[in-house]
Amino acid sequence: MIEVEHLGKVYGSTPAIHDVTFKVESGEILGFLGPNGAGKTTTMRILAGYLPASSGTARVAGYDVHEQSMEVRRWIGYLPEIPPLYPEMTVEAFLHFVARIKGVAAGDRPRQVNKALKRCNIEDKRQVLIRKLSKGYRQRVGIAQAIAHDPPVIILDEPTVGLDPRQIIEVRNLIKSLAGDRTIIISTHILPEVSMTCQRVAIINRGTIVATNSPENLMAQLSGGSGYELELDTDIETVKPLLQVIPGIRSIEAVIRENFRETRHLLRVMSEPEAEPGRDIAAVLVGAGIGIYEMRRERVNLEKVFLELTTSEKMIEAEKWELSAVYKAEDTTTTISQSPDRVEKQMLEEISEEDSD
Amino acid sequence: MIAIANIIAIYRKELQGYFTSPLAYAIAAIFWLLAGFFFVALLLGPEGLIAQVAFRDELGITEPIDVAYEFQKLFLGVMGNLVLFIAPSLSMGLYAEERKRGTLELLATSPITNWAVALGKLLGAVTFFITMVLPLLVYESYVIGAADPPMELWVSLLGHLGLILLAASVLSIGMFISSLTDSTLLAAVFTFAVILFLWVIDLVANRIGGVVGEALKHLSLVENYGNLVQGVLDTSSLFLFASYIFLGIFLTAQSIEALRFQRT
Repeated sequence: MIEVEHLGKVYGSTPAIHDVTFKVESGEILGFLGPNGAGKTTTMRILAGYLPASSGTARVAGYDVHEQSMEVRRWIGYLPEIPPLYPEMTVEAFLHFVARIKGVAAGDRPRQVNKALKRCNIEDKRQVLIRKLSKGYRQRVGIAQAIAHDPPVIILDEPTVGLDPRQIIEVRNLIKSLAGDRTIIISTHILPEVSMTCQRVAIINRGTIVATNSPENLMAQLSGGSGYELELDTDIETVKPLLQVIPGIRSIEAVIRENFRETRHLLRVMSEPEAEPGRDIAAVLVGAGIGIYEMRRERVNLEKVFLELTTSEKMIEAEKWELSAVYKAEDTTTTISQSPDRVEKQMLEEISEEDSD
Repeated sequence: MIAIANIIAIYRKELQGYFTSPLAYAIAAIFWLLAGFFFVALLLGPEGLIAQVAFRDELGITEPIDVAYEFQKLFLGVMGNLVLFIAPSLSMGLYAEERKRGTLELLATSPITNWAVALGKLLGAVTFFITMVLPLLVYESYVIGAADPPMELWVSLLGHLGLILLAASVLSIGMFISSLTDSTLLAAVFTFAVILFLWVIDLVANRIGGVVGEALKHLSLVENYGNLVQGVLDTSSLFLFASYIFLGIFLTAQSIEALRFQRT
């Protein structure tokens, strides 16, 4: 449905994006992930026909976004970074206006507008002036205007930015509900968003696509096997010879943590990509009479993948210490300092639990 | 057909914008206040037309004078000057506001041409100006109705058509200037400066003289407006106003198109 080939954009002499190539199949949700300033908005704007590309081509439903801009505009619904709203209009009047300029037939407009209002759960605000709405509602009106003409392709640029966790969940559910036969591109710098809503991720960094795959594959591809964290009553010198013989084990190392009880020992056991040695580890340890306080399987999460892909070699050198500190913090639940994304994720989980009650 | 539907959509949105904007009402209120003041001052004031006619009578000049016609000329002349101040404040937000709010991104990614947007916006602004002029007609008709022999209707209509064409020209140029910036204040100030220049261009023309001076004189807004107000149906004046209006729309469409390529 969307084909982007070798797309480049230069502002003056500064390249914003360079050789961006990706494809979105019909009915797919693609997450466009990247740090701030990576070229997400530029790519979205080119796709929407707002900006011309400096090089390369982008096609939506077979139409070139620049050459056949008017055709493309009929096919897409677009939510820019800043929702384009007229504060002096009521929600309903605004959506009617958008439907009109998007070419929805007069007879079909009330139905389409009502559908968009219902989808975005803003039916009760239809007569309210947009300037009186809260940020969350404005964002929803922004999404409503993107779907007011029921487009087959929807482009959402940072749809959840600036919303509180509850609103973020609502917006994500809304995006999921839009899927089906529609093709959706969401740009974001928030990782959980991608794993929650998208079937495929394109990671963009410094203007180029560094990876395109499903969130699961990306994690598997980059994790290089999974690991286990063990909390034992015996030190590594005793345990290492016992575990090393288990097939599928790659490495065993001690984890040093300050203020940890002296009688307990933390170990990290890394396994080969395809191996699943957890059962054997437990059997060996129990057989040897070693006390296990905790055994936990670690999965590489998308955050790590993201950091790995968007951090250049030099940065890795410079920030090695810092990053490993982040990894450690994320890998444990007992640690005090937690990464902001983690905190957000937990908040979301708590809220969704409340919701399901 | 689609183009017309789009123009109407923009036109209605723009008009609704004016009628729900406190600023537009404030502008209208100032316009009415000043227009009312000049109406009274020009007609009934100590230096007013009625006083002058009475003075002529005292001097024994018997040559008849068409008070209604003279009054319309004076009054519309002053209204023309008011347009210079009022119109830039109506046109300043047309695009600057859209740019500032980011709504231009909505318009630019909708299946609607820059021409349709510009035309719809200009029509909206002109319509709002016409509604500002309508109440004045009520008390103008009071003077014109009292004239004996009655004033020819087309002379009055032509004068007011001139006023609207003048306003449309100023609004069109103001719209173009508004499309160049995202500051409404800057748009208003620049529009005022440009219109002021077009206003006094005949003074410059008189200084220069020669062919260039003659050419410049034809571009003067006040000169061509004067023709229509006097009841002279000069097609070259109509053509000039039409040219200004077209130029404004054309430049607006071009500047919005150019914006796509410049955007950083």
